Parts: sequence; structure tokens; C-alpha cells
Amino acid sequence: MDQERLMEQIVQQVMQAMKSGGSAPAPAASVGGKVTAQNYPLAENLADKIKTPTGKPFTSLSYDKVISGELTADDMRISPETLEMQAQVAESVNREAFAGNLRRAAELIAVPDDRLLEIYNALRPYRSSKQDLIDIANELDQKYGAKAAATLVREAADVYEQRGRLKKF
Amino acid sequence: MKSKRFEVLANRPVNKDGYVKEWPEVGLIAMNSPFDPTPSIKIENGRVTELDGKCRADFDMLDTFIADHAIRLENAEKAMALDSLEIARKIVDINVTRQEILDITLSITPAKLTEVVGKMTIVEIMMGMTKMRARLMPANQCHVTNVKDNPVQIAADAAEAGVRGFAEMETTVGIARYAPFNAIAIMVGAQVGRPGVMTQCALEEATELLLGMRGFTTYAETISVYGTEPVFMDGDDTPYSKAFLASCYASRGLKMRFTSGTGSEVQMGYAEGKSMLYLEARCLAVTKGAGVQGTQNGSVSCVGVPAAVPGGIRAIAAENLIAMLLDLESTTSNDQTFTHSDLRRVARSVPQFFSGTDYICSGYSATPNYDNMFAGSNWDAEDYDDWNIIQRDMKIDGGLQPVREDDVLKARNKAARALQGLFRELGLPPITDAEVEAATYANGSNDMPDRNVNEDLKAIEDMMARNVTGVDFVKALDKAGFPDVAQNIYNMLRQKVAGDYLHTASIFGDNFHVLSAVNAPNDYHGPMTGYQISEERWKQISDIPNAIRPEDI
Repeated sequence: MDQERLMEQIVQQVMQAMKSGGSAPAPAASVGGKVTAQNYPLAENLADKIKTPTGKPFTSLSYDKVISGELTADDMRISPETLEMQAQVAESVNREAFAGNLRRAAELIAVPDDRLLEIYNALRPYRSSKQDLIDIANELDQKYGAKAAATLVREAADVYEQRGRLKKF
Repeated sequence: MKSKRFEVLANRPVNKDGYVKEWPEVGLIAMNSPFDPTPSIKIENGRVTELDGKCRADFDMLDTFIADHAIRLENAEKAMALDSLEIARKIVDINVTRQEILDITLSITPAKLTEVVGKMTIVEIMMGMTKMRARLMPANQCHVTNVKDNPVQIAADAAEAGVRGFAEMETTVGIARYAPFNAIAIMVGAQVGRPGVMTQCALEEATELLLGMRGFTTYAETISVYGTEPVFMDGDDTPYSKAFLASCYASRGLKMRFTSGTGSEVQMGYAEGKSMLYLEARCLAVTKGAGVQGTQNGSVSCVGVPAAVPGGIRAIAAENLIAMLLDLESTTSNDQTFTHSDLRRVARSVPQFFSGTDYICSGYSATPNYDNMFAGSNWDAEDYDDWNIIQRDMKIDGGLQPVREDDVLKARNKAARALQGLFRELGLPPITDAEVEAATYANGSNDMPDRNVNEDLKAIEDMMARNVTGVDFVKALDKAGFPDVAQNIYNMLRQKVAGDYLHTASIFGDNFHVLSAVNAPNDYHGPMTGYQISEERWKQISDIPNAIRPEDI
């Protein structure tokens, strides 16, 4: 709240720090789909097309089944097919970048929580060697079929190398 | 002799604020800097080879990411060739549709976006917001925190905030290890006050994701991006790690937005001699390129920096407009305390409040200022009636409505009791009846008894090790005799399976019906179009309990 001090601090910092500070392929291509904004919200208009990642129909989900223990936390998740439908909705309203994110996300559903967090941390600056990142990209690609996510990691590997943001030994 | 007038003025709150003269060479300038790059783009073989005066060999990490992901290339050369003034005029022209504007603005570079909004006055920026906001109707978000991390108070404050109309609620922590309790408490309270409220808990990135994965939260917004590479590195992330993180959230059915704001780069000492607004335009391009649906921007926690330079508050509105020009959900700050002056803090909020944005505050403090753990807010619980009266004065919908004391007390009490029951069923340290009573009537944490912090933290560690999830909260609330609250939490979990609320600018209306820029897009094109306050809603806003009724006289 002490703004004057903040301003002074900034000016000092700037004076001290009078110094300053890639290339890659394109994101995953989109495929034409049938689901559009007309079907949205899917929970209301396409409920019979939605399934949980455990294969249970969305329409079969109920409060009572949660209470009885028939449904678990694993059932209350989104499936790759549903995310693909949502990506198509996004495309139908001209949000291709967002649709691309949803498609990358669809691929990552298969990656366990802990591994996903590890990969995210490995992508932070100075955490990984180029080979580490290439290994992760191959793992995403080969083990999980996560092609778009793997492309993003490979891109990062190149850019981090060019910008000196790889792990320092 | 000293002037008595000047003595009075010197003691005014506005003169307790800090100000600084522009210093464009180091980036201490809000917008329209002579050192901002000249807009340019060159595309060869479908690849950007020049961006805003830099050729690819000289790109830093942000340039590369923006060039490869953030700009629609098909139309880019044509859109970049348009005069910036002409684009600015189209933005305020009611005969040019939102979609026509997006066809241009999604194809131009950060420097061009900065130049376009640089041609607009504050009133024109507000016109632009009215037309370019993604969702038809505005909404509001609040902070629910307290200095003691008291979960009973969080539940009660969240319940009240729900009754008052907030569509989204955010908590954070004093003590980081308290996060799971705060997340549970805000969720339970929110679902008591207004079923369908989305809740989040702001934490370090990886921890925040973990809580979301476990069903403790429904969305996240504190995913920071910065406008220069060194500051991005200081933030311990890159555009690539953040883009990956965005997909992690969606893969678990969680809504998310990035956050950024003018002033962060100069505050962290690496503005590279560019204006605050240009650097923010780069942040927003990174957000767009990562495929994120929206942003929390408007200087946010750096508001003291733009607020200290000339035109800084205009720049904050301009950065909100740039987010809208990129078709992003616009969650427009109006949060951190930045001034001693009540006049100034209202003026700062006028552009977003009067134009309406997807979330006007992010957030409004649902507690007294002293309990706000995000460094206070521009709007606090003490200002509830001021907000309501301003809505009534101006006939605008700022997302809130006047409430009755007994409705609020009922909701606060129920939320506190529901949390008490949930704690009991999950074997967590008991919430006493005295705590429930205190939370029902409290204004802030000064009115709350202390909890045994060590015992709470031990119980939290144990609960997290047991892998407790959202499903367990539903069961516990049902068993504790709060099946209606449990149903609401179940419904939020069910929504994650369908993913409708991942879309741009989503909120839940009645009966968990999602409203977003997909099924409720802003279609403003002049007077009597776009969002119109319904008669029913106007009655809700205008019917304050303390108005004299002519028939009573």
C-alpha cells in the first residue's frame, strides 16, 4: 500500500537492471465435426452421447449412486470423446485456439495425475535437459498417443535450447 | 504565509497516494510510449518471419510462441495493412458487428492491438467493452478469505456472497497448508448460498492443479503470464509450460483462465523499455496462443504501478478491452486496494462496472478489508450497499442485489452447520456450536474464536494422505443431514463430466444451466440491443429495503 516506496523500489530496480534478455511447427490440425453450438450445452442437448472415461453413460449418473458407492471419483471425470465434442463446439464458434487446447487436453486424460504434474514441472525453466524433454515427448506420443501434447513439448525443447533455458549442469 | 486551502488539500486521502512521472526509457509509462515497436508482420511459406519489427532470428521466447500460435495468419497481412485509427473507429461503430471486429483483431500483432486502443478515449474504450465483452450478461466474482484461515467463517461469508449474487468465488491462504480446508469451506458455503457458483483456491501452480484434480475446486485463474522473457522466468514458467498446464486443467474437466496485468514487468525490473500496455498485449497474445478461454487482467496485484503514472487507469481499461478484442473471457480485476481516496477507487471501477464485463471484479472482497488475503480489495464487504445503490442509480447490472438480513443470517448459519457436519463425518477437528454461532453473526475474523491451528494442519495432512475427494464431500454432507447441499456439490461434479463450463465466459444460471459465450453471446449493436435488464431483475436491483414507499406516507 505504500506506493511511494514501491515507486522508489521500481526506479532503483530499473537502474540496477539496465540489461535485457526460436522456431517451431504449427499446432494440431482440426477435423470437421458434427457437434456445434446448436447442441450446446451438451449436458442438456446431447446427454445420451456423453460417457464417463469408465464407460458409464452420462444419463446413468445419479446422486443416489454416489451415496451408495456405486459411482466413485474415477467416474466423475471427463472423457476424451466428450472433450472432442466440446472442441467441435468451440470450432463452430470460431475458437480454434481454444479447440486445440481441448484436443491436447483430451490426449492427456490418459496420463495419471502424478505423472502429469511431473511433466508440467519438467517444462518449467531450467528443469530439464533437451534429452529429458525429448524423452517426455516420446513418452506422451508413444505411451499415451498424445501427439499434440508431444509436439508442444518438442517445440519447447527447441526453444529452451535456443534461449538457454535448459537445465544447467 | 501558507494557504489554508492548500493545507486542507494536502491532507486529503488522494494526496496520501504515490505518484511518479513518466520514464518511457525504462517502461515507466502506461501506454502510447515512443519506444513501443512499430506494428509489422511478414509471413513466408505459412510462417511468421517478422513480428513487430523483429525478424525471427531475433525472437525471444514470447515472440516465438506468439508468432507460432497466437495470430490467425490467413487474414493477417490484410488486417495489419488497415489503419489503426480505422480499426479503432470500427470498434465504436455500432454498425460494425463484434464478429467483424474479431476477424480483424484476431489477425493482428500485439503492437498493432496496442496502437489501436491507443487511439481511443476512456469513453470509447467503454463503448468497445460494451460491444466486445464475450458473454451477453455481466457477472461478478468475489474473494472469500480471512487472516486466521478460519474455515467456518469462509463457509459463512461464501454463503452470504452467494445470496448477494456472485457467480464465482476465490479463496486463498495465510498458511499454505490450510488450503484444502479453505477450498472445502468456500465450496460448501457457495453451494449453500447460490447453487452453481464456481469456486477456486489460489495457490502455487502445481498445488492448485492437484486440488482441482481431487474435486476440491471447479476452476483456476491464478495461472500468471508475463510480458517479457526474464519476468516469465522469474515467475518460474514459460509460455510452453503454461500452455501445457492449461491442457492439464481441461483434461480434468476444470475451467481455467490465465492472469496478467500492466505494471508487473516494470515492478519486477525487466520491462525492456516498453510501455506497460504493450507488454500486457504480449501476455494476452500468449494467453490466446495457449488456447485458454479467458483471462483475469487489469493490472490486478500490480495496480499501484499504472495508477501512479499518467493515464494509468485508462491503460487498465484498455488492457481489458484488448482481452475482449482477442475473444477472451474478461475477468476485470478491480480487486487490489490501490488508493486512500474513495472517489478514486470508484472512478477506477467505472469503466468495467458501467460497461459490464464477464466478471467485473476478480474479486470483490466478501469480507472486511482487513480479512482480504489478496492484499485488500478495491471493493469490500463494507461497500455492499454502495455497490447496490450505484447499480440502482445508474440502472446497471453489476451482478449483485440488495438482500435481507434474515436471509443472510439463515444462509450463513446453514453453511457453518453444513461444514460442521462435514467435518464430523470426515473425522476432522470438530467445529463447535460456538463457532457456528460466531460465524453466523460475524463481520470479520475479529469476531471469530481461534481454532487449534496445529490440530487442523495435522488433520489436513492426514486427509490428503487418505486421498479424500469431492465424492467424499457429497457422501459426508448427505450423512450429516444436508442432502440439498450434497446434491449441489454432486451437480458440480457431474458438470465436470460434460465439460460445458470449460467454454468462454461460462457461469451457471438457475438449475445448473450453463450460460457462456457459446449459448449467450454478446450481440450488442446499439441502443436497445445486447443485454437488457429484465423487469424482474430491475425490481431485484432497485428494491432496496430502506427506500421510503410513497404509499406509507
